[in-house]
Amino acid sequence: MKPQRRSPMPLVSLLFLLAWLVLLSAGCAKRDQNTARATGNVLHLFNWNNYIAPETVDRFEEFCNCELAQDYYSDNEEMLAKLAAGAAGYDLIVPTGNAMDTLIRQGALRPLDKSLLPNLRNINPAYLDTAFDPGNKYSVPYAYTLTLLGFNQEKIKELGLPTDTWAIIFEPKYLEKIKGRVTVLDSQRELMAAALKYLGYSVNDADEKHWKEAADLIVRAKPYWAAFSNTSYIKELAVGNLWLAHGYSNDMFQAALDAKRTGRRFKIGYSTPKEGAVLALDSMVLPQSGNRPGLAHQFMNFMLDGKNSAELTNLIGSGNPNTDAMQYIRPEIADNEAIFPDTETLSRLEMLHDLDRRQRRRLSRLWTEIKLR
Amino acid sequence: MIKGVKGETKDARIARFLVGGPPLLFLLVFFVAPSLIMILTSFRFPGEFGGLAPITAPEDMTIGEYGITSEAYQFFFSDVLYAKIFLKSFLMASATTLICLVMAYPLAMLIARSEKRFRNLMVLLVVLPFASNFLIRIYAWMIILGPESGLSHFINAVLGIFGIAPITLLFSPFAVLVGMVYVHLPFMVLPLYTNLEKHDPSLLNAAQDLGANAWQRFWRVTWPLSLPGVFSGSALVFIPVLGMFAVPEILGGTGDILIGNLIKDQFLGTRDWPFGSVLSIMLTLAVLSIAGLATWFSRFATRQGTV
Repeated sequence: MKPQRRSPMPLVSLLFLLAWLVLLSAGCAKRDQNTARATGNVLHLFNWNNYIAPETVDRFEEFCNCELAQDYYSDNEEMLAKLAAGAAGYDLIVPTGNAMDTLIRQGALRPLDKSLLPNLRNINPAYLDTAFDPGNKYSVPYAYTLTLLGFNQEKIKELGLPTDTWAIIFEPKYLEKIKGRVTVLDSQRELMAAALKYLGYSVNDADEKHWKEAADLIVRAKPYWAAFSNTSYIKELAVGNLWLAHGYSNDMFQAALDAKRTGRRFKIGYSTPKEGAVLALDSMVLPQSGNRPGLAHQFMNFMLDGKNSAELTNLIGSGNPNTDAMQYIRPEIADNEAIFPDTETLSRLEMLHDLDRRQRRRLSRLWTEIKLR
Repeated sequence: MIKGVKGETKDARIARFLVGGPPLLFLLVFFVAPSLIMILTSFRFPGEFGGLAPITAPEDMTIGEYGITSEAYQFFFSDVLYAKIFLKSFLMASATTLICLVMAYPLAMLIARSEKRFRNLMVLLVVLPFASNFLIRIYAWMIILGPESGLSHFINAVLGIFGIAPITLLFSPFAVLVGMVYVHLPFMVLPLYTNLEKHDPSLLNAAQDLGANAWQRFWRVTWPLSLPGVFSGSALVFIPVLGMFAVPEILGGTGDILIGNLIKDQFLGTRDWPFGSVLSIMLTLAVLSIAGLATWFSRFATRQGTV
């Protein structure tokens, strides 16, 4: 929609020219550093946003004398959609369990050569041999997050509300004290999972009656919620606009850190509801279309090293399935039960399984109905 | 404006083809072809993992359907739910268009009647927001409308004087409307300006000489002449608002879902391409009929204006 008329302002054109020059020179400087790309020794990683520590990247590039080229996605569906649309050439992807399940059943993944992965012994057996990939034929655990409750500690304590149960986001008797200060995830599966868990069902329950019960629970609680939010709750919790949010453990870690760094008078706490919650285990897998399986195995083994794996946890507060990493993780994170659940809590966590196409269509309609009500 | 082509020389026909051909090709490639693909998609079964189920049965097929079906259409028409969401989206688009028009008209008039040397600068200022990323501008509105913002404090202080309980601006249909208007305002200003700029000032002088007051001069001269600009501006606002999903997602509350959000979700979260295609086709049909109506109105108005 730019008007196609001559610009009467030499000053503006000059500014644009300057901006261009700055951009160009920055581009050149970057190219000089990355000689590895020119030599073709590149590992293409398709990863979540902010899901590897910069120092880890540097060390790996030094170690392999190669370049780690990253593309990012912000949810599994986006990643699957891009792959389905024909994105190829990635050597490594880090999907969550259910998305990995899809990739395995599609035959899109390459079996692992475990002789190249001696560090696999570092992984806690509780995170191996999942229903998605029995025997870890295709995948190596990378990190995990829990879906839980984050809250403004001072406010919630002041109002005398419980933080160890999903009731706080579903029961009007609690919600009326925090009306308009609550957000829940804008995700059909995650929110239904929370409601199903609260009702005592499995997160993977696809029974129509149970879904109806869960939808009723959500519709009853909805007027008290400010919004469905997938990312903005991090900032809103940290500045004090929100008092309670349903979200991911690493996001809550971020919110708590932001609140602390900006010197807020409150702290952000987070805890796993006693009814149980969703555990999302992200694993490294090798797509068939990757060109550098050898290098990709090297990267996997490198990331299975405790020190490298710990750097991610120290950066973003992700859960870590690597037992060797625990010694390198900062104690305030390692002691946080919302990040490293005890065995009892762990037994109540469930991973989401993929729904079949009819269930997906049915859930989508239910979700539209919930939103329109 | 398709005039009769009878009696056209061969050269003129070739010239017409050369001028009209490229845009026609563009429409074929970027509108007709995608629409056809969408129509084909809408009659398929969704694949088990997303994408589409095959048309013919593969040898190793154990689960799922294949072939052609009108299932997605049946699903669409089986529930009044989807009609509701269309209605809601059209209301939102109409409100946005109306507010944009009311806000853009005086601005466009001001620019068109300013001295020539300022006009380009003012037009540049109108389009300047496009220089920064759309999402960043929407996120900025989150801060402006947030409960701790100066605006919220001010509004609630004023409301407090009248004894009205504090209100929240963010995460509401109001916030969505603000975002929509903000994003689409330039699309209304520009066509209005290009139209108003062409008006002959002597018409207004003549009207004044004949005794018309300021309001009559506007309502009986400027407004009828500007109707084509009004219609093209309205189309440029109305249609994109219908497809918008980012604004309600970021600024909206728990009930602010529009047709754009639903379509986006069919291709990402739900991975139901056929149903997403059905929704898109319905939207395209609705938009086309509205655009058709607008063109008809615009022609009608032009004829009225010039008589």
